[in-house]
Amino acid sequence: MPYEPYKALYIHIPFCVKRCGYCDFTTHAIAQDDVRIDEYVEHLVIDIRRSAKAGDLSEIQTVYIGGGTPSHIGLSRLSSLLYALSVSVDLTREGLEFTMEANPESLDERMVRDIWALGVNRLSLGVQSFDDEVLKVLGRAHDASKARDAIRVALERFENVSIDLMCGIPGQSSTSFEESLREAAELGVKHISVYPLTIEPHTRFDQLVLAGELDEPDEDTEAEHMELAERVLSEYGFTRYEVASYAKPGFESRHNTAYWTGVPYLGIGRSATTMTQNGERRMRVTDGEVVDDLDRRQMEAEDLMLGMRLSRGVSDERLSKACEFIPEALAAMEELAGEGFVDHVEGRWIPTRQGWLCGNDMYSRLLELAP
Amino acid sequence: MSQASSHIDQHDPSHIRNFSIIAHIDHGKSTLSDRILEQTGTVAARDMQEQLLDTMDIERERGITIKSQAVRVNYTADDGETYEFNLIDTPGHVDFTYEVSRSLAACEGAVLVVDATQGVEAQTVANAMMAMNADLEIIPLINKIDLPASDPDRARAQIEDGLAIPADDAVLCSAKTGEGVHDLLESIVYNIPAPVGDYDAPLRALIFDSYFDAYRGVVALIRVVDGCVRKGDTIRIMQVGTETLVEEVGARKPSEIALDDLSVGDVGYLVTGLKDVAQVKVGDTITLKSRPATKALPGYRDVKPMVFTGLYPIEGDQYEPLKEALEKLALNDPALVWEPETSHALGFGFRVGFLGLLHMEVIEERLEREFGLNLLATAPSVEYHVLKKNGEMISLHSPQEMPDPSEIEHIEEPYLRVKILVPPDYVGPVMDLTNSRRGTFVNMNYLSSTTVEVIWEMPLSEMILDYFDRLKSSTKGYASLDYEMAGYKPSKLVKLDILLAGKPVDALSFIVHADNAYNRGNAIARKLKEIIPRQMFEVPIQAAVGGRVLARTTVKAKRKDVLAKCYGGDISRKRKLLEKQKEGKKRMKAIGSVEVPQEAFMAILKVDD
Repeated sequence: MPYEPYKALYIHIPFCVKRCGYCDFTTHAIAQDDVRIDEYVEHLVIDIRRSAKAGDLSEIQTVYIGGGTPSHIGLSRLSSLLYALSVSVDLTREGLEFTMEANPESLDERMVRDIWALGVNRLSLGVQSFDDEVLKVLGRAHDASKARDAIRVALERFENVSIDLMCGIPGQSSTSFEESLREAAELGVKHISVYPLTIEPHTRFDQLVLAGELDEPDEDTEAEHMELAERVLSEYGFTRYEVASYAKPGFESRHNTAYWTGVPYLGIGRSATTMTQNGERRMRVTDGEVVDDLDRRQMEAEDLMLGMRLSRGVSDERLSKACEFIPEALAAMEELAGEGFVDHVEGRWIPTRQGWLCGNDMYSRLLELAP
Repeated sequence: MSQASSHIDQHDPSHIRNFSIIAHIDHGKSTLSDRILEQTGTVAARDMQEQLLDTMDIERERGITIKSQAVRVNYTADDGETYEFNLIDTPGHVDFTYEVSRSLAACEGAVLVVDATQGVEAQTVANAMMAMNADLEIIPLINKIDLPASDPDRARAQIEDGLAIPADDAVLCSAKTGEGVHDLLESIVYNIPAPVGDYDAPLRALIFDSYFDAYRGVVALIRVVDGCVRKGDTIRIMQVGTETLVEEVGARKPSEIALDDLSVGDVGYLVTGLKDVAQVKVGDTITLKSRPATKALPGYRDVKPMVFTGLYPIEGDQYEPLKEALEKLALNDPALVWEPETSHALGFGFRVGFLGLLHMEVIEERLEREFGLNLLATAPSVEYHVLKKNGEMISLHSPQEMPDPSEIEHIEEPYLRVKILVPPDYVGPVMDLTNSRRGTFVNMNYLSSTTVEVIWEMPLSEMILDYFDRLKSSTKGYASLDYEMAGYKPSKLVKLDILLAGKPVDALSFIVHADNAYNRGNAIARKLKEIIPRQMFEVPIQAAVGGRVLARTTVKAKRKDVLAKCYGGDISRKRKLLEKQKEGKKRMKAIGSVEVPQEAFMAILKVDD
C-alpha cells in the first residue's frame, strides 16, 4: 500500500545563544559566527532539495522552522535556507502557513522584513514572561522590554504572531502570570501557547531540584495558572483549542493541528521527527531511528488520544470509525464520561475541565485500547 | 559423565580432610574457596568465575552465600601424598546460622577467616563458638593482608584474646592475590584430623543438605560416618522411614563426577529419585535396608522462623503460581514456612515465616525474579503470644489476628539477646540507638583495647525495624552484630490501625508498644502521605488504636496531571512516558478506590522515630 503524501514540513535549527536551565530540546549554545552553523545549514539546504526532487514536498501545506532558535543563525544563513524552501515548496499555495520561531534577543526589524519577503507568514516568539524576575529564574537571554520590542516589530509586518508563555515557575506569582497574559493580549498577538514549567531529566533545573536549590513546580499552582490562562484569555477573545494552545478565531496553528490529527509530516534536520503512514501502518522516524511503528488499531487509539487534547474533541463519526478497528472504544469513552473526563455534547466527545487538567489518565487509557 | 573413582584407597579415610570455611560476612570466604579450587587445579584458571560456589544469581550479585555447597578437591601435599579435601562452604550471614551448624557436623575442622582490616567481628565469634562446640580443629586464617589497612597483629591478638584460639600459627593470606593459600593447604593436611569411622559397621551417613532437582529427584549431600553406600543399594532414611534405591553417588569437583561408592569419611552427593524433599530430611541418617544401623546420628534441631510477613500477588490470578513457587523454594529451604492468609485489602495471599530480614529479602527477590511474580509484601512482624482472659494462649503471626482488647489478659513478645562488637568510641551511639529501641543493657566486656562486646536484651520486633542499618550508620559501619532468641516477655502492646479514606486497611496495621503508638502513628501517617500519590479525590489517612484516632494527614486531590507539549517527536516520547506511568500503576494496589503503591506496606520500616 503506498504511503500518503506529507502535508507538513518541519525544519529544526539546533542552535541557541545560550542554553536555558529548563530546556531538554536538541540544541547547542554556540556563537553566531561558528562555522558549524554554516555546515549545518548547507546540509539542510541539500536535504530540502533532495526531498523536493523525490517529490516529497509537492503537497506541503504548512512549513515550520523551529529550534533551538532559528533567529540565532542570522539573516544571511536564513536567506539561503528560505530561498531553498521557496524553490522547493509551493509557498504561494492558498492557505499555506509558514511559521518561523524567533527569540526576542535575535529578532530585529530587518530580519522581520526579510523573512516576510522570503515567504514566512507566521512568527512564533519565545517570550515566556513579561516579568524580569521570572525571566532571570528561567535564564532567558532577553528581558521584558526586549520582548515587547520584538513583538511590536513583528506585528509591523506579520498579522499572525504567536508567543509562548510559561507558568508554574518557582517564584512566579499568579499576579505576575496574569499580567503577562494581559500584556500579551493587549500587544495584539493572535496566538498564545501556555506551558507549565516541567523539570526534565538531565537539565540544570533537574540538578537544582535534586540539590534542593530550586523548588519543584507546585501542582496546585500549575493548575491554578492553567485555569487562569483560560479565564483571562477568553476575556480578550481567545479560544483554547488544545491543552496548551489559545488563538483568536482563525489563527489556530495549522501546522500543530497536523500533528494532532493524523496528518503525515516530514522532519528535516537533527532530531526532527518524520511521520509516514498509510491505511495499515504509521511510523515515526527520528535521526534514522524508528521510534514508533503502529498498526491500524494503534493508529486509531493514538488519534483518539490526540483528539481528546483538542477542544473540539472527537466526533461520533470519528469514534464509530475507530470502533471498526477497536470495538471497545465506545465503551471506554462512555466510561471516561462517567468519570468526568469527557462530555458528550451535540455529537462530539469533548474534554471537561478535569479532562483538561488531569488528561494523562484519559490519554493512557485511550492508548491502552491498542497497546 | 561417569568416571572411575580416583581417590587413594577406597576404604581408608586417613587421607581425607573434611573442613568448612567460616567467617563473618564479607571477610572473603567465597574468594578463598575460589582460590583453593584454582591452586589445587580443580578448576582451571580460565574457567574461574568469581565466587564459583555461589550458584544462585542473588548470591553472586549480593556477594553472599545462602546455601551450603560441598566440593571435593585433590591436593598433592609437600610430603608427596595426595589428599582428598572436602570443602564445605557455609553462609556467613546471621540469618543463615542454622546452615552453618549443619555443615559443621559433617567436618573435622574449620578454617576461621578473619579480615586483617576489620579484625574479629560478632559473626566470627558466633561461628568460632559453633565450631568449638562441634569439637572441630580450628585453623585461624588472617585474610586480606594485601590491603594497606591490614593489621595482622591486631587480628591475631583479637583471635587469642577474644576467642581463646591460639593464633601463633595463624595462616597469613590474601585470597585475592593467592598469597598464603599454599600454607593453608599444608596446614589443613597437618592440623585437621582424618575422619574416624568403621568401614565394616552398618552404613550411617548424615544428610547435611538436600534439594530437589527437576530431572533427578531429591539429591542429598551426605557425609558417610560408618560403612559404605553404592549405586543400586536400597537405603532407609532412619527417622522418616523412607526407603529408596540409590540411583547415583558421586562427588562435586565442582561439576558432578559419579563414583562407585561413598565410604567412611567421604563427603558427596546421593541421588534418590524421590519427589518430595520432606522424605529426605536434613539432619536425618541414611542406612542400608539390608543391614540397618541401630542408632541414628545426632540430628539438628528444627529451625524456627522469627520474622513473618504477608505476601500477596498483585494480580489475583497469581495466587496459585505464588503457592507453587513457595512450594518449590521450600523444597530446598526447610526454614521457609507459610500458611494461607486473607486480607480485606489485599485479597488472598500467604503469611510467610523467615529466619530474618535478609532471608525474607532473598526469598522475595527469588519469587519475583525466578518465578516472574509481581508481589506485595506487608511490613514484617514477629510471633506474639496473647494470653486471653479465658486462659487461652494464642500465637499471633499477623496483626490481623489480634483479639479484641477486652479479651486480652496480656501479650508477650519475643526478646533477643544481642551481642554487638564495636570500637570503644562508638559505645555511646550504640547505647542511644538500642535504648530507643526498648533495649536493656546486660553487660559489657573489653575483648581488646579496640573492641568492646556489649550485650543487650531487646525485642525482636524492634530489631526488624531497620535496627541493623541504623546500627551500621551510627557506628560508621564498625559495629557487628549477632543475636540469639532469649524467650518471651510480657509487653504493653497495642494494635495500631491505619485508615485510608475512613476505612481501616488490615494490611497496614501493625503491633506497637503502647508508649510508642502516638509517635509511630504520626510518623507513619506522614510517611504514607508522602508515598501515596494524589488521586482524583482527597484521601484522609488516619492512625488509630482501638477506635481512638491518634494522627491524621490528608493526600490532596490531584489538581493537574497533563502533558502540555505534544508536537512531532513529542508524541512518541509522551507515548513512552504514558506507558511508563501505566507500568508504575501496575505496581499499585487498588484498595477500595485508592491506588496504593507497594512501598506503602513497608512504610513502617522507613519512618524515623
